[in-house]
Amino acid sequence: MKTKLLSLSLLLLCLPLSVPAQQQERRLFPYNYTVDDLPNGLRLVTIPTDYPNLVALYIVVQTGSRNEVEPGKSGYAHFFEHMMFRGSENYTPTQRDAILKRAGAEANAYTTSDRTVYHEVFSKEDLDEVMKLEADRFLRLKYGQDVFKTESLAVLGEYNKNSASPFSKLYEVLRGTAYKKHTYAHTTMGFIEDIKDMPNQYDYSLEFYRRFYRPEYTTVVLVGDVNRQRALDLTKQYFSEWKRGDYVASIPTEPRQTEARTAQIDWASPTLPHLAVAFRGPAYSDDKKDKAALDLLAPIAFGPNSELYQRLVLREQKVDALYPSFGNQIDPELFTVYARVKDPKDVDYVRQQILDTFKRFTTETIDQAKLDATRSRLRYGFALGMNSSEAIAAAVAPYIALRRTPDTINKLFNLYEQITPQDIRATASQYFTENNRTIVTLMTKAGDKGANKEAKN
Amino acid sequence: MSKGIISTVLIFTLLLSAALPALAQGGGAANGAGSANSIASVLQPNSAPLVNFRIQFMTGSAFDPPGKEGVASLTAAMLAQGGTRAQTYEQLVTAVYPMGLSAPLGWQVDKEMTVFTGASHVDNLDRYYGLMREMLLDPGFRTEDFNRLRDDAINFLKVSLRQSNDEELGKEYLYNLIYAGHPYAHHNMGRVSSLEKLTIDDVRDFYRSHYTRANLVIGLAGGYPAAFTKRMETDFGKLPSGKAERRRFEAPKVDAGTRIEIIQRDTLSTAFSLGFPIEVTRAHKDWPALAVVASYLGQHRSSNSYLYQRLREARGLNYGDYAYIEYFPRGMFQFTPDPNLGRQQQIFQIWIRPVEPQNGMFTLRAMLYEYDRLAREGMSKEAFEATREFLSKYSNILTQTQDARLGYAMDSRYYGIQDFNTYMREQLAKLTLEDVNRAVQRYLKSDRMRIVVVTKDAEGLRNAILKGERSPITYNSPKPKEIMDEDKVIESYRVNVKPESVVILPVARVFE
Repeated sequence: MKTKLLSLSLLLLCLPLSVPAQQQERRLFPYNYTVDDLPNGLRLVTIPTDYPNLVALYIVVQTGSRNEVEPGKSGYAHFFEHMMFRGSENYTPTQRDAILKRAGAEANAYTTSDRTVYHEVFSKEDLDEVMKLEADRFLRLKYGQDVFKTESLAVLGEYNKNSASPFSKLYEVLRGTAYKKHTYAHTTMGFIEDIKDMPNQYDYSLEFYRRFYRPEYTTVVLVGDVNRQRALDLTKQYFSEWKRGDYVASIPTEPRQTEARTAQIDWASPTLPHLAVAFRGPAYSDDKKDKAALDLLAPIAFGPNSELYQRLVLREQKVDALYPSFGNQIDPELFTVYARVKDPKDVDYVRQQILDTFKRFTTETIDQAKLDATRSRLRYGFALGMNSSEAIAAAVAPYIALRRTPDTINKLFNLYEQITPQDIRATASQYFTENNRTIVTLMTKAGDKGANKEAKN
Repeated sequence: MSKGIISTVLIFTLLLSAALPALAQGGGAANGAGSANSIASVLQPNSAPLVNFRIQFMTGSAFDPPGKEGVASLTAAMLAQGGTRAQTYEQLVTAVYPMGLSAPLGWQVDKEMTVFTGASHVDNLDRYYGLMREMLLDPGFRTEDFNRLRDDAINFLKVSLRQSNDEELGKEYLYNLIYAGHPYAHHNMGRVSSLEKLTIDDVRDFYRSHYTRANLVIGLAGGYPAAFTKRMETDFGKLPSGKAERRRFEAPKVDAGTRIEIIQRDTLSTAFSLGFPIEVTRAHKDWPALAVVASYLGQHRSSNSYLYQRLREARGLNYGDYAYIEYFPRGMFQFTPDPNLGRQQQIFQIWIRPVEPQNGMFTLRAMLYEYDRLAREGMSKEAFEATREFLSKYSNILTQTQDARLGYAMDSRYYGIQDFNTYMREQLAKLTLEDVNRAVQRYLKSDRMRIVVVTKDAEGLRNAILKGERSPITYNSPKPKEIMDEDKVIESYRVNVKPESVVILPVARVFE
């Protein structure tokens, strides 16, 4: 093969700033950002970076499946996200697509229980046009019944493609078992019966828009080759007319759990057994210690470097996947450990091992050295992920949905610095109690149809 | 040492180091294939606090010996997820834990390429590199790691692919079907039956014969110190020299006519993949023209494309519809493709995401109708210009991270083209509508189509295909006349296939 001269290096030399390590320890989020509030309540966060040419625009709306309070209306935040692509007063979907296509943009959106995020990455010269386009759908969304009904089928298609995975079902049942009143009981996709009824709920979709697509719930995040003044000028120009709303969702409080809960799923096709062991945990906080303490415990107790993982996955080899999940949520969230067990006969053993590990950390104090290594891991893990303007915007968006400022990231990591092994033990014993627990087990209906046997035929 | 082109950006590096770095160097990226002892490399030094590694071996699943399908993949897994001679995998995971990593190395095995990816903050570079070097150059080949990783590979095929993800199942099986009898025929992870028979000695043999200097390309980007490349050269110079395996992979022999295989599985919906071989890769002069066509027809996970607008937006058939001219695994989990999946042979592919089973026959017809329309009419001037503009900007997004730029540069080296962004910009600027429509006529008109369907009622769908009766679709809302008129054509559109070429396959036999 011929030697080729590739000319990336000159470009690369102008690339990202080196951040001194000691500065990182004080301030985990190293970029100089600004926060500007418009009189209507809309917030703009601008994060200039040294990555050239591109701009990442993330518009974060503080609504998600958590806000779906009426019965029969699960899945609307997500469905509504789809409708935001179906036309506005000044742009048909075709015109919108054409503009984004000319901008070479990657454009998409996602919804979780607490947030809906609309994101685009594109060349900086197209910033004005993209901001104008985005403002139109946030201020002047417009779609008809027919388009609404058709789009509901795309949502059903999304549910159907997800349904092939046993994990989707496991997660759905876990939420429904652990939460009885709070809207975290349903997934972001929603209940299948509600999805099937979506075509009939046009008026509710307009109501959803009226309630939550308001400046006081929305933050515009601009990251990349952009400066504050330009970002602010464009935001004022296109978003100033947006009217503040008056709706505040009344999210039911989940009552205290008073008994251990379990659920069993009979899966129709061959698979390996899946387990979810969950305890009711705290909500996100950048000032109270309990969430931070359990964040630090998660990798120590259940991560790839944990004693449990090394035993079940690497040495005994009874499990082929084991991981903790404990998201940052507005309301109290589950601390869950998921496992996929290789042989159905080991399910009881594995479940017990997971339970014993939860129990162990309610009495045992972890090593200071392990705790320090975990803090280091969280810091470097976060820093390693910040490798483009888009990555920075994507990393910041969840925190914007929680506190509307990147500063919460620095506060959170400062909180991590203060956590002691005793804090972790005390928090674990507070939350990992039997009455806080939900266990879900998914297995193929008849044990003899297990995946390990099926292929021998 | 091969002669590299020393660019101005590296002069500073060279002045500071006592000896010339022995890795071949170019203006941030180069390769050295000048002599048998050289190690090829792609280097992208800069001042970032992050260092990315892509350690590539020009071998992969197409090099699996017959009956030992899966050994290339299992060998890579043993290096990336197994212990070294000195340390267990547990110890390696523990060592990278404070560095922010869950695993010391990422790995990817494709037909002709195996790549190990690593990342380190410059603070940890020495310690991290020490581990990586040990893993790749002094592997432990421990029995317990072998048992675990072989189980993982088998369960990946039997459970994760066959039983959890109908879309990837169909997409991967399409490749098996098109490449039947070809070295590309089996899944990159192997076959269930061959994996069950593999031994640790198979893995050792594969490592010895394929992990050679001749097969190695070192990719390095970020704020690494000047002398670092020399250190890597010395370390990786300990690999056996080997012979460069410039094995030629011919186009697959695909019988004329359409063949449809229906994978029968207990599932809620019906997924489709269509494809046929194309002779065009990134090395080919017509690749940019086909890239424009594929983007226009079905840009990955984008609403800016024809199929998506016709099938999802206008009709609500499913969640999305896309088209490809390069292998793009795991597309349901990511928006941009992973680099280092270069191949000598590629296919044109349409991916129709799952539809409601009652619309299966209509969807099959719609897919063929749209494909035929493209092959017949090509692109309009307006569509061509918009798509060309999109792609010339979009390459900046594909390469926005340091790691992606490194990966793309390595792929450019493989295909013998210039830096990807420059290549796209310059080639697209020269391209005309006539070039594109000529490329459609030349490469996308196939009489050797292969279609894979995943559905529950396989027999019902097979009967519907063979009977050829109308398959009208009903909607939950009024549709424009233009769509209704088109539906009239689609509902009776001829599926030109012989009865013996519509085959039902129980899912348990896929990847077996």
